[in-house]
Amino acid sequence: MTGNSLIPGAIARLPWRVLSLVIALGAFGLVVLYSAAGGHVRPWAFSQGIRFVGLLGIAIGLSRLKEDTLKQAAFPMFGVLMALLVAVELLGVVGGGSRRWLNLGFINLQPSELMKPAIVITLARFYDLLPAGEIRRWNAIWPAAAMIGVPFGLVVLQPDLGTAVMIAAGGLVVMFLAGLPLRLFIGGIALVAVAVPAAYPFLHDYQRNRIETFFDPERDPLGDGYHIIQSKIAIGSGGIMGKGFLQGTQSHLDYLPEGHTDFVFATMAEEWGLFGGLAIIIAFLMLVNWGMRVSLHAQSRFMRLTAAGLATTIFFYFAINLMMVMGLAPVVGIPLPLVSFGGSAMMTIMLSLGVLMAIARAERGGSSNNAF
Amino acid sequence: MTALVARPARQRFAGQREQAVALVHFRLMVVMLMFAGITAVIALRLVMLWAFSDRPSGADALHGLVPPRADLVDRNGVVLAGTIDAWKIAVHPQKIIGDREAIAVRLAQLLPERSLDVYRRILHSPRKFIYLRHEALPELVQAVNAIGEPGIVFERETRRYYPQGSLAAHVVGWTDQDGKAASGMELSLDKRLLDPLRRNRAVALSIDSRVQAAVESELMAAITKFSARAGTGIVLDVHTGEVIAMASLPSFDPNAPAKAPIANLANQATLSVYELGSTFKVITVANAIDSGVVTDMHRRFDATEPLHIGRFTIHDDHPQRRFLDVPELLVYSSNIATARVADEVGIDRTRAMFHKLGFDRPVDIELGARGRPLWPQFWARVTNMTVAYGHGIAVTPLHLANAYASIANGGIWRPATLMRRDPDQIPSGRRVISAATSARMRQLMRLVVMQGTGKNAEVAGFRIGGKTGTAEKPHGGGYQRNALVSTFAAVFPMDAPRYVVVAMLDEPHGTVDTGGYATAGMVAAPIVGKIVARVGPLLGVIPDDRREVDMTGLENTIWKPKADKH
Repeated sequence: MTGNSLIPGAIARLPWRVLSLVIALGAFGLVVLYSAAGGHVRPWAFSQGIRFVGLLGIAIGLSRLKEDTLKQAAFPMFGVLMALLVAVELLGVVGGGSRRWLNLGFINLQPSELMKPAIVITLARFYDLLPAGEIRRWNAIWPAAAMIGVPFGLVVLQPDLGTAVMIAAGGLVVMFLAGLPLRLFIGGIALVAVAVPAAYPFLHDYQRNRIETFFDPERDPLGDGYHIIQSKIAIGSGGIMGKGFLQGTQSHLDYLPEGHTDFVFATMAEEWGLFGGLAIIIAFLMLVNWGMRVSLHAQSRFMRLTAAGLATTIFFYFAINLMMVMGLAPVVGIPLPLVSFGGSAMMTIMLSLGVLMAIARAERGGSSNNAF
Repeated sequence: MTALVARPARQRFAGQREQAVALVHFRLMVVMLMFAGITAVIALRLVMLWAFSDRPSGADALHGLVPPRADLVDRNGVVLAGTIDAWKIAVHPQKIIGDREAIAVRLAQLLPERSLDVYRRILHSPRKFIYLRHEALPELVQAVNAIGEPGIVFERETRRYYPQGSLAAHVVGWTDQDGKAASGMELSLDKRLLDPLRRNRAVALSIDSRVQAAVESELMAAITKFSARAGTGIVLDVHTGEVIAMASLPSFDPNAPAKAPIANLANQATLSVYELGSTFKVITVANAIDSGVVTDMHRRFDATEPLHIGRFTIHDDHPQRRFLDVPELLVYSSNIATARVADEVGIDRTRAMFHKLGFDRPVDIELGARGRPLWPQFWARVTNMTVAYGHGIAVTPLHLANAYASIANGGIWRPATLMRRDPDQIPSGRRVISAATSARMRQLMRLVVMQGTGKNAEVAGFRIGGKTGTAEKPHGGGYQRNALVSTFAAVFPMDAPRYVVVAMLDEPHGTVDTGGYATAGMVAAPIVGKIVARVGPLLGVIPDDRREVDMTGLENTIWKPKADKH
């Protein structure tokens, strides 16, 4: 908050403990990408490193945001992203069988990615504005349901079920924390349990395939089951300490598809073993826990809901990815943030971290929050 | 939404706010518990994947950089044993996902050792795990992997490979299915081959694979021609003790030792002991000359009639029925004359000589499979006379080869070796006979090939010398007339000795062109001649008709009947 402070002071006040955790995860990711490329920085590790440094800088910049700025930006940002999502539907670039990207000339933007933190901030702002007495009324539900439902529907149409689920999950957690009646959520879960089988015939073939493959990976070993089978082999083959840096055979012999993106955890686990896998899980757990604690200590309702929602977004990224890689969830195309090659997920995570750091900073009256 | 904000009353606001904060905190805890639960499930799953996967055992972190076992090469660097990467291919019939019929058809094409029906049965088998192929090469693994059946699995294995096949199989030995050394130099050098610091460097044996091939080929031809049960061949460097070739036939392929009859796995050159017969006369004569018993090459010994010692009678195979001097003793291979010479040498000196030549113990060589010689239990006067011509004592062919090397090389005995010896590694050895005696023995051995029982070993220009030995194989308490061990032990070139060549046939049978004889001069001597003719040039011995052993001192020793003087 002290705009006139000397640079060293500003640097010293950065939340170094959480930053070092993020840097450690990112660096480990670079090591894995280096190995996945057969011991070369190209084509992955180098560009990923540049992106990591750039986005980390942006996150640190965001950590200086003031609460008011964020509040004012919430609805306009949501509006812009909704417009972009519609634009993707109309003008988007088709890649990997779905229409997700908007080519802006210098960058392929994936608005659905940005929607993940945006939905959290927008809903937090909505419940911040909503008077406490209204929370158990219909007025507290339908606007939020619409704000989740429309982008959810648009992203499902792309089709990108994984991202849509994450948008919905982030939004629903904010609704849950905002204090909506518990019976709504219990009823909702029951409804989904009934509705999903009913919706099943309307899913895309590839989505149906993935779900069926999830329940029986060996159903289609050459197609969709192949990812999962090879991934499980790679993870299991690592042993306790792994086969060693650059020694993984599943990934190096190209048995493992997407070994640098969605399935990077398998590549990592083969070379670093159980030890490496648990290290990543613990690191993410510490990161999410830090975000939740930021929420617990937040001074305002907006900050509290935003922090918890963003921590949830980070958690779902890592949890869905790991469950998918280990055969606990269908393959839905969610990368492992900070480790997988690719810019979109890293951007989402860094933006979330930036906002979380801003909230932590406000809690301490401008000083850093180093507690995990 | 602004309308919504305006509605509530101010006094209710503060209380509701506190309640709301408490509710958020409570629900945050619920969410965090949920997250912790999901994370626990993920971590548990990771541990399960780790615990229930079949991992190849062994720390192969260095794999690919250093071979797990050093190569064995011959003295010129030709690889005799190497290590290659291979895979085991196996199938989990229960886990087959694809079309079993299609997979069976493809497997029958790729792995033709089983029929289509067998593959159908395997793929429908209730068993959990069946090996389809051991030691598959990468191309095959790739082809089988391309079937894309996850029920078919591959496991890496390193496989010892013997690129020369059966060549020098007994020397090289083999490793078993688990890669453990089982015999031969593989076993003797096991520690050295596995030494992590040295296994990147190949180990050079003394064998010359070219010479080995020639010896095996000539020996096998002779075994076939004379319908012999087995054969042994040795080429030994007389000055260094290095075994240049060592063959024991019939042999086996170390890549698949289990397929050969068990008898073929034994190395006759070092494991089997034989009564080697008249080849021992060279040793007896050398001992007699060296000990001063015989100083004059013209001194004659009575061979007019069989020699009766107690209830034992010594006969000659080629009876001359006259007095024979020492050169004639060897040329006509007289048992009677040899027995009389040995009687003068005496028991003590005969035993001392055999001790010096190592006949009382397993042969000095790196191999583990070494036979213990049959040493006479009671050394009577008659025993001393019979061991002098190679009966009543049994040693290995390598014992004999090394004894001949010592007698021909100037009189120095050195332990034989299968390791290539650099000049500074050659042991100084110990003196067995004087250099003068050695020179005389070279003349006498050459004489046997020029005029005696070894004529069939003669090859123009190679100055071969040696001695035949035909022994009847013991059976029960006596000897079998028709089961012979025919040996020819030779040295060449005799004017400046380089190599000992020993060829031995076990139970050869005469043919029409040997007149039905299966004696050493007829069956074993020609083998040595053919081997020398083939390997001499390879070993740097150039045939030269102008060179010959100086026969000074042996003039007029071989008596010619008057009829021949015309």
